[in-house]
Amino acid sequence: MRSQRQGSLSVVRAANDGSGGFETFIKITADGSVTAYNGHVDLGTGIRTALGQIVAEELDVSFARVVIVLGDTSLVPNQGATIASETIQITAVPLRKAAARARQFLISRAAERLEVPSADLTIEDGLIRGKDNRSVSYGELIGDETIRLDLAEDVPLKATGSYTIVGQSVPRVDLPAKATGELVYVHDIRVPGMLHGRVVRPPYAGVDAGPFVGNSLIAVDEDSVGDIPGLVAVVTIGDFVGVIAEREENAVKAAARLSVSWKAVPTLPELDDLDAALRANPSTPRTLIEKGNVEGALAGAAKPMRRTYTWPYQMHASMGPSCAVADYHEDRIRVWSGTQNPHILRSDLALLMDRPEGDIEVIRLEAAGCYGRNCADDVSADALLLSRAVGRPVRVQLTREQEHTWEPKGTAQLIDVNGGLDADGTVAGYDFATRYPSNGAPTLALLLTGKLAPIPAVYEMGDRTAIPPYDYDHMRVVAHDMPPIVRASWFRGVSALPNTFAHESYIDELATEAGVDPIEYRLRYLKDKRAIDLVNAVAERAGWTPRPVREEKEGDVVHGRGFAYALYVHSKFPGYGAAWSAWVADVAVDKTTGEVSVTRVVAGQDSGLMINPDGVRHQIQGNVIQSTSRALMEEVSFERGTVATREWGAYPIIKFPDLPKIDVLMLPRQDQPPLGVGESASVPSAAAIANAIFDATGVRFREPPFTPERILKGLRGDVPTKPETLPPPTMSRSSKIWRSPFSRRSGVFARIAALCTAVIGLGAAVLPGRAIAPIARPDPSVYSAATIARGEQLAALGNCAVCHTAMDGAVNAGGRPIETPFGTIYSTNITPDVETGIGGWSYPAFERAMREGIHRDGRHLYPAFPFTHFAKASEADLQALYAYLMAQAPVRASTPHNKLAFPFNLRPLLAGWNALFHQAGVFKPNPSKSELWNRGAYLVESLGHCSACHSPRNALGAERADGYLAGGLADRWEAPPLTSLSHAPIPWSEDEFYSYLRTGESRFHGVAAGPMAPIVKDLAALPDHDIRAIAAYLASFNEPALEPDAQQALAAKLESETRVVLASSTGARLYQGACAVCHELGGLPLFGSRPSLALNSNLHSAIPDNLIQVILHGITQPASSDLGYMPAFQDAMSDDQIAELVAYLRRQFAPDKPQWRDVRDAVSRLRASALH
Amino acid sequence: MAPTKVRLIVNSRACEVEAAPDTPLLYVLRNDLELNGPKFGCGLGECGTCTVLIDGTAARACVIPIEGCVGREIVTLEGLGSRDRPDPVQQAFITEQAAQCGYCLNGMIMTTKALLNINPHPSEAEITQALRYNLCRCGAHVEIMRAALRAAGHIVEICD
Repeated sequence: MRSQRQGSLSVVRAANDGSGGFETFIKITADGSVTAYNGHVDLGTGIRTALGQIVAEELDVSFARVVIVLGDTSLVPNQGATIASETIQITAVPLRKAAARARQFLISRAAERLEVPSADLTIEDGLIRGKDNRSVSYGELIGDETIRLDLAEDVPLKATGSYTIVGQSVPRVDLPAKATGELVYVHDIRVPGMLHGRVVRPPYAGVDAGPFVGNSLIAVDEDSVGDIPGLVAVVTIGDFVGVIAEREENAVKAAARLSVSWKAVPTLPELDDLDAALRANPSTPRTLIEKGNVEGALAGAAKPMRRTYTWPYQMHASMGPSCAVADYHEDRIRVWSGTQNPHILRSDLALLMDRPEGDIEVIRLEAAGCYGRNCADDVSADALLLSRAVGRPVRVQLTREQEHTWEPKGTAQLIDVNGGLDADGTVAGYDFATRYPSNGAPTLALLLTGKLAPIPAVYEMGDRTAIPPYDYDHMRVVAHDMPPIVRASWFRGVSALPNTFAHESYIDELATEAGVDPIEYRLRYLKDKRAIDLVNAVAERAGWTPRPVREEKEGDVVHGRGFAYALYVHSKFPGYGAAWSAWVADVAVDKTTGEVSVTRVVAGQDSGLMINPDGVRHQIQGNVIQSTSRALMEEVSFERGTVATREWGAYPIIKFPDLPKIDVLMLPRQDQPPLGVGESASVPSAAAIANAIFDATGVRFREPPFTPERILKGLRGDVPTKPETLPPPTMSRSSKIWRSPFSRRSGVFARIAALCTAVIGLGAAVLPGRAIAPIARPDPSVYSAATIARGEQLAALGNCAVCHTAMDGAVNAGGRPIETPFGTIYSTNITPDVETGIGGWSYPAFERAMREGIHRDGRHLYPAFPFTHFAKASEADLQALYAYLMAQAPVRASTPHNKLAFPFNLRPLLAGWNALFHQAGVFKPNPSKSELWNRGAYLVESLGHCSACHSPRNALGAERADGYLAGGLADRWEAPPLTSLSHAPIPWSEDEFYSYLRTGESRFHGVAAGPMAPIVKDLAALPDHDIRAIAAYLASFNEPALEPDAQQALAAKLESETRVVLASSTGARLYQGACAVCHELGGLPLFGSRPSLALNSNLHSAIPDNLIQVILHGITQPASSDLGYMPAFQDAMSDDQIAELVAYLRRQFAPDKPQWRDVRDAVSRLRASALH
Repeated sequence: MAPTKVRLIVNSRACEVEAAPDTPLLYVLRNDLELNGPKFGCGLGECGTCTVLIDGTAARACVIPIEGCVGREIVTLEGLGSRDRPDPVQQAFITEQAAQCGYCLNGMIMTTKALLNINPHPSEAEITQALRYNLCRCGAHVEIMRAALRAAGHIVEICD
């Protein structure tokens, strides 16, 4: 057998980088396989498939034979960034010519070989056949030769009429791998020895220009993360801060915990009023067109019309936060990246590293769609800085918050149109001025490390489609070029979408004023034949009824229809036209709520030759959906000039239920050159929708997004809108003060006596209680296993470990700080370590501590240790508890000193406190009550010490006898009332107490969170009948329970009355984006429970603390994993946002309760207190 | 939390990883078990890109620690099927070309699978409701709906 042939045929072009090298477009190897190289990358639009079709077609090979390589800097030609819908229209052109060049060469060689004229040859999948049926394959023609052909500009191309592959809907080549989890994305790359990095971004969130950029870091305290396992390095360069760990979750923890001090962010321009901010931004006017006599024409206009259109800042909002892997070596640098501009990124990395570009290879993998820009380049540079610091490959994954905050935003834009009508209804003149504050958003690491000065550059990019498609006689178009205000760059339909929003809204306004049908009016000024054809075709497809005059609509929900058209002109002015696009949008507007639904869109497009018609259809549909989302709901919010949208609640995007029905019309133009289709269908969107809203309501909206609030405001003028409260459910509730059935009544005399004791106590500071001599640690084997087991249950009932275990500390070794109104007390070590724990305590010493609150050495213990309850425990139970504690492994751990203010730091005063508030003596059952009740009372009142948290305390920190179980505080969480004082909309019953304490969840109240979750977890050690007893006892302080059916009916009523139907406030949108997935009624079951907010006690409470706490910190340690987990939102939402969310939740789910006051302050307080 | 050995059952295979018990399942699936299906999207359970099945129910792996998964059956996209032997839901998504960038695709397929586990023949409205909290930015919703309908046994009309 002959060995396999080694030859190849390449079509190349000299590289223009001065290297003397060349760039390869096509390579055919002797085995017949074809590889094609393109400098652009597939951003999820399917160009990999379309380019494969182009090559296969021009080369006459089967589609399956072609492999497309995109974006790897060491392999592909430098064709610039993948932007502006250029790939098919521009970048594919040399590829097609290269394929044609190869085919031309091969067929002429075949003609020689087969000795027949070229014209007599046919080709089928790379096999060239003569009329005599002799054939030769491409591979055979290449043989062992290395053939290199130059890319020729004038090579003849196949006639489009003969196409068999181009123009067919070929399935996307990438989807099977994506649907089955094969390695596709840059996120999936795993390099041997790879570490995980995270970055910590500066506080000037989303701002990349100004002297403070790269210059704000004060210090990083590496000790703050010193205990994180596998931490490899903390890296700081200027304002660039990163951490590296062996494991990803530890890098996450290190980034969260790293203590970084930053300079205060200087006062930045506020962006609440975009008009003012954009007008105040310095600019340079650039006239794009001036025609006729605009001043004269406008001076003579019969009806002058000045209008301003404002476009908001929007986000590209990639689904995947950017990720990259870098591997730095002195002789070779490799970066795996999701960049859309590999060669430009390589230049940036070379600058960052002070290395020649040739040392760096950027390997491009797929990433989440980016629609213009995301943080792909930023994270590539971050990874490289970290890899260089440790000399190992490092993967960096940005967080959602970082991607949201720092992605270069699609910029706000402000457009003034001064124009008007002549008396005959013709357009008098058109004076159009657009302001576009954006630039290229340099790679962030260059700015943060000081490699690049943070001076904002001015890009001339506000001019896309700034010249209207209408042939007005007197027209001037000026682009006011200006620097960015916040980090911003191009976004799908770059400046063309906002400019078209103005053009197409304005001409609609003109038509209305002129009393002419809006489409007819446009056609009077539209001269482009293909545009006219498209407009007519779309109007016909939509069944457009001409309407010279708008018809007034009746009813609360009004319907309207709007039209808009655009030829998307992109790239450097004057630019190129991509596909033509036109929309007819149908909307329904609810005038009572302000909700706009886009019900149907007919989107027509003339794309020229469609390489892959299904691909074009998908692009049109994708553009329609995304741009509808942008028009209806998308807007970046700012706080003090920095970006405040950090997750999907603050920046909602359209969801399945809100989709319009889409009817795509693709004009057959297969004989025309192919045009870019990646953006065009977005461009008419907002104007078509605004025009439809005008048709429905008679009100013009000139500032997207068209949120319910904005629509209501527009419909009602500035009349304040009705708050979205629902009628309160009617409920009667008797409230009642419960006294502890076990409290002693302390009269005036008793108090005086106690006060005296306190004074004596103060005087007796030198006379502490009697010390009990230490003993050798008792041998636990003297206790029976049954006793120890019983003690374990009692320890669980008493939740000893909850207080006596520090965060990440050994169980019962103490050291947990307990905040009290008097200062911080640290729990003690109750393991049997002789020196630092209770190993030297005899049983009498232990019992005295439990019953009297006196340490073995005679010191008084602070009543944070609930000995007032433990005193009630039976002798047998205390002995069992002692046995259990002594049987545990000793842990040597000293307790930190308490931090108490004077006079609370004087322990002897506690003697007086005890006299006042401590009632010694074991529990005595109440003979008039059932055995179950008495058992419950014993458990609750003794070791269970429920009222220690669930009762209010007096000024001296003692439980108030007149507020038994009436609610208190625990660890900055509310311990809610357990009696009929409960705020829960459905009264507590024995069964619900039982269910809550047994499982951690009550259908009618919610799940255990905060400090209650570990308590329920501990209670798992208790038998069912003890839990039942506790439930029966607690229920006795409540109104008689509703019947189960009545309970269910009330729950259903409350839930249906508070069902969320509309997101018409910031709070509501935060709920929909962040909370509803797990809390909305009737959603798809997710792992864990689905707590009903309408019934949740915390939403009905008098204070918002628990709701705020659970939003800030989530539920990371639930009572049982069956309940699922709630994430912490503290890093994803600002205080303002959480306050908005909390206020909304209260309004929506507890509509009969008054609004909480000072919520914003409570959020700040609870957030700050968690840091201590 | 200190690292400990945690046993998990993933795609019908028992495995043991050494990690802190509070480690989000997603990182263990991706880094220790080298599974690419579940994606990191938000870390807050909002977007759905990380969806896996836990005991047959949809679960957002970015917010569930491994300690909560012990003794449960975890299934990822890879566990449904492969390119050569795709699950019917995967095949429906491939047939309908139901992705653009595809980053949300894992969540869409896994959520559809979870829905079909409890409701083999959901209506279009039920599918809409089930997929409501899975976000897609490319606007592939039309194809995704068609794929889910196909997977649910509906006859999907051919586009003109």
